[in-house]
Amino acid sequence: MIKLSEARPVYVIGVGMHKYNFVSDVLYIDMGLTAMRAALADAGIPFPEVESAFIGIGMAAGRIMFNHLGSTGLACTQVENASASGSSAFQMAVNEVALGRRDVSIAVGVDKYGDQVRAVSKEAVNQLSDTAAIPLVKYALMAEYLSKEKGLTGEDLARVAAKNHTNASQNRFAQFQKPRTVEQVLAANTVAGTTTSLMCCPRGEGAAAAIVCSEAAIKRLGISAEPIRVTASALQSEKPQIGREIPSVTLAQEVTEKVYAEAGITADDLDCVELHDAFAIEEILYTETFGLAPKGEGQHFLRDGGSAIGGRCCVNSSGGLIGQGHPLGPTGIGQIHEIVNQLRGRNGVRQQPDAKIGMAHMIGLGSIAIAHILQKEV
Amino acid sequence: MELEKPDLYRLSSDAKTLTLRAGRCAVCRGLSFPLTHYGCPRCGAEPVEVREETLDGRATLLNFLTLHTRLTPTLPVPLVVGEAEIAPGMIQEIMLAGDQEQYHDKMVVQAVPVEITKDDAQVIACRFVPEGTA
Repeated sequence: MIKLSEARPVYVIGVGMHKYNFVSDVLYIDMGLTAMRAALADAGIPFPEVESAFIGIGMAAGRIMFNHLGSTGLACTQVENASASGSSAFQMAVNEVALGRRDVSIAVGVDKYGDQVRAVSKEAVNQLSDTAAIPLVKYALMAEYLSKEKGLTGEDLARVAAKNHTNASQNRFAQFQKPRTVEQVLAANTVAGTTTSLMCCPRGEGAAAAIVCSEAAIKRLGISAEPIRVTASALQSEKPQIGREIPSVTLAQEVTEKVYAEAGITADDLDCVELHDAFAIEEILYTETFGLAPKGEGQHFLRDGGSAIGGRCCVNSSGGLIGQGHPLGPTGIGQIHEIVNQLRGRNGVRQQPDAKIGMAHMIGLGSIAIAHILQKEV
Repeated sequence: MELEKPDLYRLSSDAKTLTLRAGRCAVCRGLSFPLTHYGCPRCGAEPVEVREETLDGRATLLNFLTLHTRLTPTLPVPLVVGEAEIAPGMIQEIMLAGDQEQYHDKMVVQAVPVEITKDDAQVIACRFVPEGTA
């Protein structure tokens, strides 16, 4: 198997976003074009230089968007991997450049809520509980279990949500724009067990884009924006559940171990992480599985400010899925947008001091886990 | 009255409890639930290799909570949902009857028939109750 570190170096040279919003009348084409044009402007290259495109979600959405940006004949592939569609589109763009098949590729995620039908609804397999395919219930049950086993409290879950909503309030691309306190999160509508509505990601829409290229392309195109290298990429799907741990959590650990090995780093080297916090409990679980906190002590890492901006390793400085939003197709690329801005040192009030290495992690329904390591070259 | 999910359970002989329909693979000997027409989910063996095996519908309750918000149009709330071990090592999400005060972790629960209205018709659904109360 070829490791990314052994292939041609791949760099992110441009990122762009369209603000994540609640459902609106804005056409997906307008959102996608906004994100792509922002990424092109960031990279400082014209669209015809882009040789291939991977589009997270949407029935042939890419070609329709390119009707309005330039029908250059570029290779164009739709990518669907549930919540991780954007992350998978990014991975495919990275792989294509790493293998030398193209020099410049764009990953785009764009989505309108309600365009998707879950495959599980077509599986024709009943389950004992009508909630069995609802991730929120699974994670709320895990929060309940951890409250009994490890002393996790509703306040801990609320602390995740308050941090991420407050980060989002300083992010112009975020769906939620209000800072929240622990008390406000706890006072929101109770959904299941101790999980309230503000501890859950919203439904929404939006777009994000990232352009990757080779070292040769950086020289040929005279790229002046600081390139950020992608040093590791891994994806895996789940195995049968063993014991009480949710398969997606076990999976997240396996995937991060792979990207750490590929990039030649450990959790101690990470300065910023964007992770799949569709529900607040996930952030606590993943900070443990990623090795940012010892097992069973994710809530202490959070309480001590380890995951705050300026802490040991900032987690979800964008606001995460809870605060920035989770429009599915764009979400994983929106994470790349945040990490690149962190590593370039241009994240404004949300800047993690001296950030050099970042990780983006997503879960796709089913489940799959995917992670990327991005590094500032010094 | 028809069963809501006949592929998952059957009425026991006294009609007071439900038995669960699992599958046993002749190739890998693995137990799977639910029994489907797709084959063995563990080793990928053809459907013909998977024989139905009846579970008695007793389960060990591992964890539970009350769902307060209607997450799908057909899901009534409040609803108690739990995780239970229906066979050694086999954990399934289940729906529990009544309110959560009658349940505690590690207690034995039993699948029972409960009449519900679905698509304007009365059907027999599967809910779990504390063992001995069926």
